[in-house]
Amino acid sequence: MRHLSTDILVIGGGSTGAGVAWDAALRGFRVVLVEKRDLTHGTTGRYHGLLHSGGRYAVKDPQSAIECIEENRILRRTHTHCIEDTGGFFVVTPEDEGDYPDRFKAACAKVGIPCEEIPVKEALRREPLLNPRISRVFEVPDGSADSFLATHVTAQAAQQAGAQILTYHEVIGLLTEGSDGDRRIIGAIVSDMVSGEDVQIDAAMTINASGAWAGKIAAMADIPVRVIPGKGVMVAVNHRLVNTVINRCKMPADGDILVPVHTVAIIGTTDQRVADPEMLSIEPWEVELMLAEGDKLVPGLSSSRILRAWAGVRPLYQEGYAGDSRDATRALALLDHRQRDGVSGFLTITGGKWTTFRLMAEKTMDKACEQLGVERPCRTADTPVPGVEQGYYWLGHRLHEVEEEKLQGDLVCECELVTRAMIERAAANNPTVTLDDLRRDVRLGMGPCQGGFCTFRAAGILHELRMRTPDTPPTSNGEGPTWEVAYMQSPRHNVAGTPAMLNPAHSPLDNPNLLLRDFLQERWRGITPVLWGRQLKQERLDELIYLSVMNIDHLPPDEDASPLTEFWQFDTTPGA
Amino acid sequence: MLDLLIIGAGLTGLTAALRAVEAGLRVKVVAKGMGSLYWTPGAIDVLGYVGVEERAVDDPWQRIGELDERHPYRIVGADATRRALDWFCSKVTALGLDYSGSDAGNLRVPSPAGAWRPTYRVPAGQRAGDAEDRRPMVIVGFQGMRDFFPHLIARNLSAQGRSVRAALLPWSVLSEQRDRNNPQLAEAVDDPRTQQRLLDALKLVVKPGERIGLPAILGRDHHGQVLATLRQGLNADIFEIPTLPPSVPGIRLATTLRHAVERHGVRVEIGMEAVGFHAEDGVIQYVETATSARPLKHRARAFLLATGGVLGGGFDSNHAGRFWETVFDLPLTVPQDRKQWFRPLFLDERGQPAFRGGVAVNDALQPVNDAGGVVYANLWAAGGLLAHADPILERSVEGVAIASAVAAVEKVHAFALAESSKG
Repeated sequence: MRHLSTDILVIGGGSTGAGVAWDAALRGFRVVLVEKRDLTHGTTGRYHGLLHSGGRYAVKDPQSAIECIEENRILRRTHTHCIEDTGGFFVVTPEDEGDYPDRFKAACAKVGIPCEEIPVKEALRREPLLNPRISRVFEVPDGSADSFLATHVTAQAAQQAGAQILTYHEVIGLLTEGSDGDRRIIGAIVSDMVSGEDVQIDAAMTINASGAWAGKIAAMADIPVRVIPGKGVMVAVNHRLVNTVINRCKMPADGDILVPVHTVAIIGTTDQRVADPEMLSIEPWEVELMLAEGDKLVPGLSSSRILRAWAGVRPLYQEGYAGDSRDATRALALLDHRQRDGVSGFLTITGGKWTTFRLMAEKTMDKACEQLGVERPCRTADTPVPGVEQGYYWLGHRLHEVEEEKLQGDLVCECELVTRAMIERAAANNPTVTLDDLRRDVRLGMGPCQGGFCTFRAAGILHELRMRTPDTPPTSNGEGPTWEVAYMQSPRHNVAGTPAMLNPAHSPLDNPNLLLRDFLQERWRGITPVLWGRQLKQERLDELIYLSVMNIDHLPPDEDASPLTEFWQFDTTPGA
Repeated sequence: MLDLLIIGAGLTGLTAALRAVEAGLRVKVVAKGMGSLYWTPGAIDVLGYVGVEERAVDDPWQRIGELDERHPYRIVGADATRRALDWFCSKVTALGLDYSGSDAGNLRVPSPAGAWRPTYRVPAGQRAGDAEDRRPMVIVGFQGMRDFFPHLIARNLSAQGRSVRAALLPWSVLSEQRDRNNPQLAEAVDDPRTQQRLLDALKLVVKPGERIGLPAILGRDHHGQVLATLRQGLNADIFEIPTLPPSVPGIRLATTLRHAVERHGVRVEIGMEAVGFHAEDGVIQYVETATSARPLKHRARAFLLATGGVLGGGFDSNHAGRFWETVFDLPLTVPQDRKQWFRPLFLDERGQPAFRGGVAVNDALQPVNDAGGVVYANLWAAGGLLAHADPILERSVEGVAIASAVAAVEKVHAFALAESSKG
């Protein structure tokens, strides 16, 4: 068994885990982060992308609202290129009368959220598709965020500060010593999902940042942690119907947020308490509800072409709570297991929301320092991650760069303007086990054709890349991938020059057929809940391509399975 | 007055038009778009797989009896299907696109993913890819071509016991410009200078005795000449492997058919979507089309609906779970409940229920209602919109289109004769 030793072991590769690894590494600790899939495979990669101003929580949960606005300001400095400065509107529709709007305005003032009422006419000028029957509009500094890029680049920053990021490493046991009342967690045994090898990681402090899975991890040390998994369904529309984040000005409820992210607009969400964070099936009524509520913000939204639906599970936490997940607090929850359960060397950080991931990491590491008896101040709030000099994200940047560099002939994914070199570099610099990993890296297959053309092309490109790469890693750095992701989304920064080389140690892409089939299945999962009209026609074209033209259901039989192969089998099952 | 108005300009519509003018009918074709031939590999699939059987069909004529009894082939009949296919292939061959070959059964040719595709007939340019031919192959691609990966094809064909290797030629052999799609590349290959460069480059990589597989871009308008030039110059067998859409072999077939019917004086009006109709006493009087200029009414004795299914645009659907036929709102056999449309696996060997449903027809290929009654006395239907078949899953796209188009036109012909004898 391989053996690693570290100061801080972080379990979970979502925004919180990456944030903790970054924070801890900047404080000078040795850090290892383990994640059982790709980074952001859990809740982080399944959220709507709203960078909260805090307005949504100003009335209901002022503490959360304060955390949001403070973090909103910090992330605009530290993660600028992961954010689009869309601004946000809170709009009063005919169904949202009552005194809430005035309470909202007062609450924003009280917690320090800049909030200005603007004329309806002005709002409609800026957002012409907005429901013309709205009666009031408040403008707040919401934004939209790319949670894939933000998390990857946070991991890159952590790695540059010395952290080791191990994806496709699943915790199978916690190491404990001592007896009841005086127990101590001293690390974990993890399984390398790709090689099948077990690794023992000794750690002075273990941080459970596994989100909705936090209860499962804590249970490995017989510590009861009851996360309230609140499932949220989101639906992506094929156009940016709005360029500003639109919120309903009312108590938070289902389907009252519309967020422009990259080339799409996302309507969200529901909030259903579920039993298991991996049971993510989407029911037709949930999609219907999103479309009906969406129509109240942008009339006609329900007849737009819908691209995809997915569900994420909020890791809500409230000690002793037994009610609906919608009413559970969004505040972060830091569980000090020494105080709470008499187990030292172990902290659980859960609850919260994407916007506050940095703060969650800061509080966690403050507590860890206290337990370790050292004093090392947090530095993340003043330390930009790599790539911030690119400025705020803007929608046209890929098209602009493709045109300037004349890369049209190298586009592999025409929907999202992904070039061949972007795919090669992403695969070379990140651990790439599935094509779905590339989706998160460069938005492969996220556009209207949902992978119809680019899935085959990416499989072919990765196969060629694998063919020209020697079986031994090209560098002596066998420690892991470089996570050079700051410019991964930029066509200009990935113009082909020296051919990319894979590191076979972390990109075991031996079987192109499996890559192809697994990604097609992953896409199918996300589109079946919203497949009708023009998108159904598109899907039939994809069937023509993969069955009639390619005959991929009759490729030579392969015994191999990738880590994803069994994963989708119990993930979202449409109509099940 | 027109004898027949055909709605749809895909393989079904164009085949029907060709057959109808041969029978002496006055015909017009109206269509929203160019038809789905532009997406297909240009092969004539009749029946590649039956049910959930893994193994490809060897002889489609022996397996038609196992299909659903309301499958289009069962309605048309196996013999009539075979006659229609033979007529079609010899017709197209006579028109200059060589689809000749044996009718003994299916052959198998390489797919762009390196699987063997079962098909009934391929154009001459694809024939040397035959799986039964044991000569070694070299699959040749072009560096940076986004739709063709020779190493992937070679890997998968080799895994199935063939001797196959791959080679990449520089992009500059084809074009000085990077941003070129497959039809544009095919046009470039029509140029003799490109052919010479290709010939010179191939000579450097090909070994004696090898068959050469290339992406299907070997000429758009001068395919036959390109093929002959390369074969003579290399003294080797060459074959095309189809690419992703837009697909050049499909475009060649579409162009050949369209020119043929137009030479017979048939107008093929593209960009004319059928948006409405008028019927009296169960008889369709006219179909209305929309264009950017003005709406038009098309009167005819008989109407043939060949708009394809979901893919062709013949059906539409919405989030409430409704699924409808877009011109006449004909009854469909598709379940009117979204929950029943799909299975959890994309590659479920049983296919997706939403795609098996369609327009139910009687033995004369006339759309019928639930009770089995003819919906309109002068309406026929053919091709991908027919119920009880999933042509993409069965690999029967072209066979169903051709067989049902020919059969429907024969019925229309008899109807037109009867009508005109009535005066």
